[in-house]
This record gives sequence, C-alpha cells and structure tokens, in this order.
Amino acid sequence: MGTENNSALERIVTNFEMASSLPSDLDLESPAMKAVIDAMPEARRGTFLAMYQDPDVRETSVVFNRSSGNYWRSLLTARDEGKKIVFVPFNFAPEIFHALNMVPVCVEVLTTMAQNLEEGVAEYLDLAVERGLPDTMCSTQRGVIGLFEAGILEKPDLLINGALGSCDPNSKAFEYMAEKFDIPALYLDIPYYHDKRALDYYARGFKNAIKAIEEMTGHKLDPDRLREVVDYTNRATELFFEINELKRNVPNPVPNYYNMQHIGTKFMMVGKPEAVEFYEKALEVSKDRLKKGKHVLPEEKIRVLFIYTFFYFDTSIYSWFQEEMGVSYLMDVLSAFDFNPHIDTSSVDTMLYGLAEEMFNLPMTRQLAGSWDMDSNWLWDSLYYAKTYKADCCVFSGHLACKQAWGVYRLVSDSIKKELGIPCLRLEGDGWDSRITPLAVIREQLEEFFETVV
Amino acid sequence: MRALEELTEVSENLENKYVSDWRNQGKKVVGYVCSYLPEEILYAADILPYRITGKGVKDTSQADSYLTRVNCTFSRCCLELGFSGGFDFLDGAVFINGCDHIRRAYDNWKAHQSALPFMYLLPVPHLINPEGRQWYLEEVVKFKEAIEAYFEVEVIDEKLSEAAAVYNETRRLFKKLYDLRAKDEPPLSGTEVVSILSAAAAMPKKEFNQILSELIEETEASSSKATGKVRLLVAGSLMDDPEFLRNVEDLGAVVVADALCFGAKNFWDLTDESGDVLEALVDRYYNHVPCPRMAGEYSRRFDFVKEQAERAHVDGVILEHIKFCDTHGADNALLKKDFEAAGIPAIELERQYGPLADAGRLRTRAQAFLERIRR
Ligand code: SF4
Ligand code: SF4
Repeated sequence: MGTENNSALERIVTNFEMASSLPSDLDLESPAMKAVIDAMPEARRGTFLAMYQDPDVRETSVVFNRSSGNYWRSLLTARDEGKKIVFVPFNFAPEIFHALNMVPVCVEVLTTMAQNLEEGVAEYLDLAVERGLPDTMCSTQRGVIGLFEAGILEKPDLLINGALGSCDPNSKAFEYMAEKFDIPALYLDIPYYHDKRALDYYARGFKNAIKAIEEMTGHKLDPDRLREVVDYTNRATELFFEINELKRNVPNPVPNYYNMQHIGTKFMMVGKPEAVEFYEKALEVSKDRLKKGKHVLPEEKIRVLFIYTFFYFDTSIYSWFQEEMGVSYLMDVLSAFDFNPHIDTSSVDTMLYGLAEEMFNLPMTRQLAGSWDMDSNWLWDSLYYAKTYKADCCVFSGHLACKQAWGVYRLVSDSIKKELGIPCLRLEGDGWDSRITPLAVIREQLEEFFETVV
Repeated sequence: MRALEELTEVSENLENKYVSDWRNQGKKVVGYVCSYLPEEILYAADILPYRITGKGVKDTSQADSYLTRVNCTFSRCCLELGFSGGFDFLDGAVFINGCDHIRRAYDNWKAHQSALPFMYLLPVPHLINPEGRQWYLEEVVKFKEAIEAYFEVEVIDEKLSEAAAVYNETRRLFKKLYDLRAKDEPPLSGTEVVSILSAAAAMPKKEFNQILSELIEETEASSSKATGKVRLLVAGSLMDDPEFLRNVEDLGAVVVADALCFGAKNFWDLTDESGDVLEALVDRYYNHVPCPRMAGEYSRRFDFVKEQAERAHVDGVILEHIKFCDTHGADNALLKKDFEAAGIPAIELERQYGPLADAGRLRTRAQAFLERIRR
C-alpha cells in the first residue's frame, strides 16, 4: 500500500523501524544520543522520551515498537500478498480481520501515528475542513480524511464503522469517507441498552457484517484460524487482567506509558502472537517493579483516572506525570478493559458471540451509547474504575468533539463527587490537535488541580 | 388569508389555544422530539402529541450549565424550556435517541427537578435492515404499553386505524400545498410555510386538517404570488422558527421546497391503511425518508432532496446546519458536492438556533450566493 515517495504509511513504518532498532540499553546521556534528541521536532521528542527515558518503559517500548513496526510494514505488503485492507474505528476489535487474513487499521491509531510525520498532522486536519468536513467533527478521524485529501494515503478496500449510537461524529466521518472517496462501507449498530437482548441484537449485526465482508472481499473465515486468533486474544486478556491487578497496589508499579502501548496493542494487534509478547513483557516489567518498590517519581502523590480520552498529540505527558509529578496514571476509559470476556472456543458460534461480547464492552460502545446512569454505562464505569483502582481524582480531558460526553459530564462528575467524595477536573481541548489547547496550558491546569487534591 | 393567520398564531405560542382547549377537556398532552416517533399511538390514546421546540428562548444559561457550548443550540433551547417550566403544560415527554445532543438533553431533563411526570426514550436503530426493523417494532410495542400503563388507556386497533387515516390526510394535504409552492408563481413564502409546519406539530391533526384545507383553497384563489425571485430549496438541521428563512427571503428569494425534518421529510411517506395497522405504522416510520442519523442511506437522502429540488425547479439549494450538528453538517458537505456536480448551485450555511442566531453574517453569505445564482 502506498507507493508515493511521501506516502504517509511508508514514513510511519520507517519511523517505527527506526524506533524499534534502538536497543534497550540505550544511553540517553551520550553526546551522540543527546544530539539526536535535540534535533527532533518537539512532539516527537516528547514521545521518544516517554518511551525511552525510564529504563523499564524502554524495555516494553522495544517490544512494542518492534511488533508495531512489523504490523505497519505488513500493510505495505498486504496487497501483494492478496490481503485486503480494512479501516475501522477503535471500537471495532481487530481479531475478526486477523482471522479472515485481512489487515485492519484503526483510524484513530493511524491519526495518532501520523503525529510523528515530520510535518505533523495539523495541515491534514485543516485540509479536511477546507475540503468540506465541518470542523466540529472529531480530529481523530479527520486526520485520516486529510491524508486522503492530500493524496498521500492509499484507500483501503473496505470501511467498517461500529460507532452508530455511541458517537455521531465518528459514524458520520466514516460515511463521509465512504461517499467522498468512493470506498465500500459497512456499518454495525450499537443498541441503546446493555442487556442480553441488546447483546443478541448486536451479535446478530456482527455476524451479518462478517458475512457481508466475506462476500465483498472474497476472504473466508477458517474455523481453525479463528480459534488460533481467539486463543491469542484470551491469552492477552489474561495477561492484561494480571497487569490491572498490579495497578491496584498503592503505590502502583505499572508505568504510566503502559496505557498508551496497551491501547495501540488492543486496537490493532490483539489476536496475534505479537500482542501476547507485548503483554508478557509489560507484566514481567511491572512485577519486577512491584518487587523492587518502583513507582512514579519522586513518590506516588496522586492516582488519577481519566474518565474518557487522554491527549495524544504529545505523549510526553505520561512521562511528565511519571518522572516529575508523582502522578500515577491509572488508566483512561480508552485503556480500561475490565469487562473483556473470556471467549469460549468450543464452536465458531461461541467464538463469534464472544468476540461480539468483547466489542460490546469496548470503550465508547459500552459507556456512551445509552443513558449515562444505566448499569455498565459511563457513570457506572467511572465509579467502578475509580473505586477499584483507588483513584484520588478524576479528569475529563474535554475533547471538544465528544459532544455525547460533554452533554452529561456535569451529571457524571457531580455523582462521582457525591458517591466517592473525589473531585473531577474538566479540561477543554483536542486530543489530537495541539493548537486548541497547547500542552503547556494543559500542564498548568493539571498542576493547579493536583495541588488542590494533595 | 384567515387560515394562514390562524396557523401563524398557533405557531407563535408555546401553549396555543388548541392545547389549552384540549387540556380544558381534561385530556393529556405529551411532548415528543423527532420524526421517528409514531405519533398516531398517542393520538389513538386520545393524547395530544406536541412536538417539542426551543422557540422563543431568550437565553440558555440554565441549559448551558448541563448541556454545554459544544451541544447544538436547538437541544439547549429545548432543555432551557424544560428546565424553566416552559413545558409545564405537558403531561410527559417522549424522546428518541435521534442524535448525541438530543439524547443528552433528555438525560439532563430527566435527571432534573423539572422533569415531567412521564419521561420516556424510544431507542431507534441506526440501520435499516430486518434486524433493525424487528428491534424498532419491539420498541414501538413497549412504548405503546408504557403509554397504556401510565395513562391508563387502551390503544385499540380501531383507534389506531382512525389515527393513521387522519395523519395520512395531513400528509396528503401537505403534498397539495407543496404542489402549489412548486408552481412558477408560488403563492406562499417559505417563511409562511415554516409557520404552517410548526403549527401542524402543535395542535390536533383533525382540526389542523380542516384549517389546512381552507388555507389551500384560499391560496389557490389568491392573487398575491411571488414572481421574479430566486427559487430556493432548503435542507438541513431542524428548523421550526421562520427567522432564518425570512432573512433569506428578504434578499429577493423565495423558498419553494424543502427537505427538512419538520417539512417534506416528515410527511412525504404515507402509512399503508390496508393491513395490520401497528405493523404498517412501524414500516412507515422506520422506512420514511432517512435522516442523516441513519447510516449507509446517503444516496437515498440525496435522491430525495434532488427530487424535491427538481419538482420545484429551484435555482439553488441552501444546506444549513446548526453549529455542532455533525449529522447534518457532514451530510451537507456531501450534498453540496453532489448538487454542484449535478449543476445545481448549493451553499452550506452554519447557523445557530434561538438567541445566538447570527442574522447579519448569514445575510451576507446568502446575498453572495444569490448574486452567484442570478449571474
Ligand atoms: S467519542 Fe469523542 S474521541 Fe471518540 S470518536 Fe467520538 S468524538 Fe472522537
Ligand atoms: S439540530 Fe442536529 S444536533 Fe441538534 S438536535 Fe437536531 S440533529 Fe441533533
């Protein structure tokens, strides 16, 4: 995929390959390394340091970057190998495509990756708007639309959206891509409720979508391949559950940046051995840190839960929390998967139903379709995660496009305060566009808030 | 035009005289949002369906502290009225999960002390397929049962059939009215039609049908017709206040067609009166011209707007959306591209509803568009 010299994908792959070629015993203090770091654009330097500053994080980063590099490279060769490429949102699990021998790309992860292009992603966000898309739509799909508009991202074979009912901007962005760039599209509806009837409806929709994918692409679902994929999924789930158990410790030994890598792995690579390899490494590192009494520096002062999204334009914020602020970043809703089921592999039907159940509990699908105070919805989950992981405070990053979240933020935060007695901060900005609220301002606001919490 | 004056008056008051008369007879009034709510069920229960609006709101400060500035001004105006007692004449409210904004307006209203005694949300699928249709049917049945239980009424098929006939009559009359609009010399302005549509949503349909029939007769006989004006179609976000169109029409245009959810999209499809009435209502509401909330239906939407544009021989199309309304905003961008490709000039206008409406900026843009068409 992508043959132009300035192909976004090729450059993303090159970035990852460069990153993954770095050894875990890197000496950041060496003059040569310092010169390299100084020469990096700011956002990329932030990400680099978030990945490599802490030696423990560096260990997980080496594994994560290697498997991600391979993953992105597989996209470049997919067509030659007869594999179709499908773009999905983050609440559409990748396993089914691995089982169908297709290559899934999570659009939101792709925009996040594009942050590290030399030119950044801002011009593509703007280009999408110049060419017609309302600027109130979410930047995390807008980035990819901008790359299409610029002609530096090749079209996938298929688009599948599963955000219907949980996020209007997300589902409309997919419809827009489909119509504007003439890409075949399929949709999966999320029901309003979260009960057995709703799951059955959703699972039927999922099965129908698979049938349609088979018809549209010619890829066929092989039961043995599906079982292999689901086995890897189950193994990954066991591992990240164990990591989550460790997070309950005070202080929390799990590095903050794990959350970012967890999202990348879960949204792209779960169902593959690479995901298992990453979680094994992350578990090993976290256990070791627990044993050695390691935690955020200088000491764990605050345990924070982000009740929805985080900031993705400059991930140095994780290391700022970790290395300077004594803030343990427990998780955000995008990296919280405590309700991932263990999938029964006894038949194709049980596996597909299990995958549907997994998707039914993915972020956004689970919390933001339906009413804010229903069981398993946004308030319920915020209370659960805050209590289970002993958060001292909550933060809503206030990504401006999340109108469904903004619309009940006050009800949710008031209830958190009332039920748990912990405060909630509402920021305002854009997770992928640094120009809306620059990182320096976000840091200032967080610092002030943390002072009041301590 | 007595009938027009009467309907305009109805459209200008929240609790209009028909609502008061209805209530004075000891009967119930239930508010609703969205064109996916089969109103006939309420009507058959002898409850007056009243379409919730945000008209007349001067300031949205209470609503803004729950819904926020990133939520559309229509949803905020409706919530403001709910919070401030503007809908106290209603016995209940029924919402649809039409979009992220309106469903959150429901959540906030329901959680607030001003919530009405009966608050209900009927969830509608976002896809048109057999599974979705089954889900919708089950939800409509649940809704009917909830109405029966709460208001202690029975919605029998005979009443439903009567209601379906009355509602179909409204739709047929509206089509007649739209035929008149589509003529070379339209006898009504778009501004007037918005008032008529808005009255239709706020009074009993039987009485409305009578007045609309009179209005059609009066209109046919009337000699005041718009000539030499630029003919426009308007489509996009919810519009039940005439100000936006008045602004555009003051510039020398006349709106002769629409594809609005209070307008043509709401009455174009009829209910089949021959078979099982509940099934027929479900089919009619589920399959009616799809709103932008329905995924994968863009081409049907485009075809519908284009059909309306062509039958009224418009010179141009105004695609408006309320700021932050992503469903219509994204659709409008596609519609603009496709209309231009079809040789019909189109403009996208982002606007506000209610007190934030920015008339001056819109006038300038509309004027430039009209000049482009005239050339
Ligand atoms: S929930 Fe928010 S961040 Fe996620 S896709 Fe929707 S608007 Fe974007
Ligand atoms: S105008 Fe748009 S955003 Fe507002 S309630 Fe209607 S569909 Fe929703």
